Amino acid sequence: MNRAITRKEFLKSVGMAGASVFLCGAQAYAFWPGKADNMKSVKGHIFKNDAPAKPWKWSIEAFHYTSIGRKVQCQVCPNRCTLSPGDRSICRSKVNIGGKLYSLAYGNPCSVNVDPIEKKPLNHFYPGTSVLSIATTGCNFRCLNCQNWEISQKKPEEVRHMELFPADVVKAAKGEKTPSIAFTYSEAITYYEYTHDTAKLAREAGLKNVLVSNGYINKGPLLQLAEYIDGANINLKSFDNNLYLTLNGGTLQPVLETFKTLHQKGVWFEITTLVVPTYVDDFEMIKRMCAWILEELGPDYPLHFLRFHPEYRLTRLPPTSIETLEQLRDLALKEGIHYVYLGNVPRHEGCHTYCHHCGKILIERNGYQLNQYNLDNGHCKFCDTSIPGRWT
Amino acid sequence: MADRRKLIIWAIIGTGISSIAVQLVTIREYLSQFHGNEITISLVLFCWLLITGLGSLAARPVKCSSLILYALILVLMGLWPLIQLILIRNFREILFIHGISPDFYQILFYTMVTLAPYCLMLGFILPHSLTVLHNSHHEFTSGELYLTDSIGDTCGGILFSFALVYWVKPFKTVAITSTLMIIVGLILLVSDRRYFLLILTSVCVILFCLFAFDSSFETSTLSKQYGDIVRYVESPYGRIVVSREGPQHTFWESGNPLYSSANTIGSEEKIHYPLIQLERVKSVLLVSGGLGESLGEVEKYYPNRIDYVELDPYLTEAAQEFGFIKNLPGLSIKNTDGRSHIKTTDRRYDAIIVDLPDPDTFQINRFYTSEFFSLSKRILSEGGVLSFGLEYSSDYISDVEKKKLSIMFNTAKSYFQNVMILPGGEAYFLCRDGEISTDIPSRLRTKSIVTDYIDGFYYGNVTKERILKIQDILDQEEYQNTDFEPRIMNVMFQEWFLKHGTSPKIFILILAGFVLVYVVLMRKEEYLLFSTGLANMGVEMLVIFSFQVIYGYIYLKIGAIITVCLLGLLPGAAMGSLYEEGNKRMLVFSEVALLGLILIFFVWNSFLRSELHQIYFLGYCFTFSFFCGLQFPLAAKMIGERQSPAAGCLAADLAGAAVGTLVVGTLLIPLWGIQSAIIFLIMIKISSSMIILFSKT
Repeated sequence: MNRAITRKEFLKSVGMAGASVFLCGAQAYAFWPGKADNMKSVKGHIFKNDAPAKPWKWSIEAFHYTSIGRKVQCQVCPNRCTLSPGDRSICRSKVNIGGKLYSLAYGNPCSVNVDPIEKKPLNHFYPGTSVLSIATTGCNFRCLNCQNWEISQKKPEEVRHMELFPADVVKAAKGEKTPSIAFTYSEAITYYEYTHDTAKLAREAGLKNVLVSNGYINKGPLLQLAEYIDGANINLKSFDNNLYLTLNGGTLQPVLETFKTLHQKGVWFEITTLVVPTYVDDFEMIKRMCAWILEELGPDYPLHFLRFHPEYRLTRLPPTSIETLEQLRDLALKEGIHYVYLGNVPRHEGCHTYCHHCGKILIERNGYQLNQYNLDNGHCKFCDTSIPGRWT
Repeated sequence: MADRRKLIIWAIIGTGISSIAVQLVTIREYLSQFHGNEITISLVLFCWLLITGLGSLAARPVKCSSLILYALILVLMGLWPLIQLILIRNFREILFIHGISPDFYQILFYTMVTLAPYCLMLGFILPHSLTVLHNSHHEFTSGELYLTDSIGDTCGGILFSFALVYWVKPFKTVAITSTLMIIVGLILLVSDRRYFLLILTSVCVILFCLFAFDSSFETSTLSKQYGDIVRYVESPYGRIVVSREGPQHTFWESGNPLYSSANTIGSEEKIHYPLIQLERVKSVLLVSGGLGESLGEVEKYYPNRIDYVELDPYLTEAAQEFGFIKNLPGLSIKNTDGRSHIKTTDRRYDAIIVDLPDPDTFQINRFYTSEFFSLSKRILSEGGVLSFGLEYSSDYISDVEKKKLSIMFNTAKSYFQNVMILPGGEAYFLCRDGEISTDIPSRLRTKSIVTDYIDGFYYGNVTKERILKIQDILDQEEYQNTDFEPRIMNVMFQEWFLKHGTSPKIFILILAGFVLVYVVLMRKEEYLLFSTGLANMGVEMLVIFSFQVIYGYIYLKIGAIITVCLLGLLPGAAMGSLYEEGNKRMLVFSEVALLGLILIFFVWNSFLRSELHQIYFLGYCFTFSFFCGLQFPLAAKMIGERQSPAAGCLAADLAGAAVGTLVVGTLLIPLWGIQSAIIFLIMIKISSSMIILFSKT
């Protein structure tokens, strides 16, 4: 009855056994203790051999980089991408072409809109005004809940864009009669050169400049840029380095340094924290965050807690509960921060500005509209306390 | 000895019962863990069938057998589904970032490794049963094995689809359906007097029962994913969980947050943008999305009647219990398929508000097609408005989003004089034969309707420039989306891959390579079964797809179609087993019959598309399965029982089914429409017919 196994059958059997061992082995390997932690950083990577052969029309040689032979190292953000010729940076905007670092995002915004300044959000920066908002592609983070992933996670060549060089942006802002220009939507740090040159021209033309950013930038480039920045909204995504790695693909310390630098340079900024349920709603962490803010920056910079909504790849979490947001706001106020706002919660009392001295309503907001404005030359109309911010 | 033969036959039936129930429970589990689109469904089915096929192939060279080992495998297979479910639920939270939607390759890998132990055992045990019987000198053919397994499958399918899915949760389902296998395994150990092993396995079985029938334990295995669970229901349509965080409740439907308290923005946008267009709102039809604030917003127009259609009665029951459906005068909740309601109702509505996810499943696609708009228009009163929303990014409309919006705009425009897209939190489509105003806040003020979001935010978010940008970007040359050519699903798939930064190309290439090598290596008869497995699965998908388009998603009837597909295999296999030797003529005849049946479907779909009585669909599935079932024993006999064909034949059948699921469900229908899928199946069957016709054996 028994017959010898044929060569074909033997090969098949070996193949099947191999596949079975692989599948079961993979299960054991995947679930091995400690393995999971290594998989939970979403930090971006350099794109090898992904650069175009030559710079295109919307390129400019980067302002901040060092060379090591034909390799270059970008110095704009803490990623400090070291690129061989032909490589592309983590943010997708910088490339090494022939031993020089180029930005491919210069004069080619893919999104241009006029927004209310409160949308950035900035509540203490010329309230009720509008702002010309521009963005090119790219981001040095990989936030799992990015609401603009269609541009932040794309290369400049992958999107439809306009041609708007720095002088044109200033002209457009003048045309739209907006008193300021915002570098926003994706990540302004990744189109640093474009932001810098536009902001410089805008300043000369009497316009204000607004930076909306994750704050992941090195001190040198920031100091240079801060010369022209009038207002900023910087995301403090959490106060935990592991969370920065897991949810954003960055690290906390450089962001904290950014706040300190802007504070030292006298740039007005507001802090935004998106309260992601089960991650950023840790009261102890927020308490530590408030303590740091008070110690390093003082109580005057507004802190915005935003309600999270499922977005991009973080779609299997619920929106933040209003109660949690209210508790966090109470906590931050109790800790000593003077201005704490709630975002994405229409008609909530946490959207208004109250005088930190007398407690009366200074600005009553209905969405982006101002129903009451009780400030006089930057002072509370009721108690004459100077209110921090930039006011008309 | 005769008892042992009976016991092993019972074991094969038990394996069938358990495997089909475990398969259905597992698919539902994965749908709750990952994004529940057709890609996930196809991937899970693909992995299941493929790994089971691998297990079958692995059994081929195993000529020796041990009854004890066989009994132990049976018991282990009975116990493993519970462990498998716990693994799937818990390791997702360990392996992936909490709250994340994994990408294609992560789903593929996760599915493969979590399914591997069970599917390998399943694939192995069936042909190995035959080896055990043969080594014990019992007569049993491959055809009889296939027939016996099919009996088990059918029983399992009926038991799950018509009973267990309504009454018990997954843990209990796998425990109940594994009972026969476990009992046979234990009896085999008793009959062989292996008392130590018997005690050991009995302890395991007792522990298994304790955990499987403990409802609180089952709920606790979900808490990592959902947090504080206050309600957990398994409905025939999916998993409904209500979780709580402070006073906020979140309703989850198959793992996705469906509604959370204080959803002011979404509720106001979806209700007021369409309703404010009307001078007087008398009757409103809400297709899904009636939880929370929505009904309260509709109430501001004082309608006489609000019909709220929600497919899943368990969802509305839970929502009512927790106070998330307002008790309004004139409100009528209808637990039925929205499209069937629109098709059959005699009422006229001033507004139809569709609040469904983007169309990335065949079921949802039916609410975004040309035919749907035609049906909707029939029940809209003069000047009535239809609205729906699609996800998009307000700051930059990508090429894929542009395509998606263009397809929907072109589809709607062919039925309505005016179609306006308002760029809110979603891209809200307003379709009407009358005028459409974009100045929503001023119209709301005119009617003294107070809103929390629109009043203050609209002018800053839905600016004239943004409205114009959307209009300018639309491509009038894009396709229209129809029931049988669901073009938008292809766009949704593209968007899904883009969002995760992956592409299925590598997978498709590797798969195509493996399939090619496998097909070249297999016997002609095995290729026939491969093609039949492929066609069977493909036709089953086409029939379910067409049935849903015509009659709507009716759980029981879809279940009936699947059951009839399994049932048809039985008489087919029985008839095939009657032939003493391989009968080439009958094989050729069955090939011609299958080809003819696919051609009939092609003719109906291409030229008639008439509304057939439901019995025709059932009859068609039964007949098709009958001929599929007929082929297995015939092909096995042509190979000859001495060649031990069971493993190879089962593997070919399963591999074909795996490829059919993937190619028809995720590639052909979304890319080129239903006709392309039928043509593909015809080509496959022609190739197998030619091979059989011109083979010498």
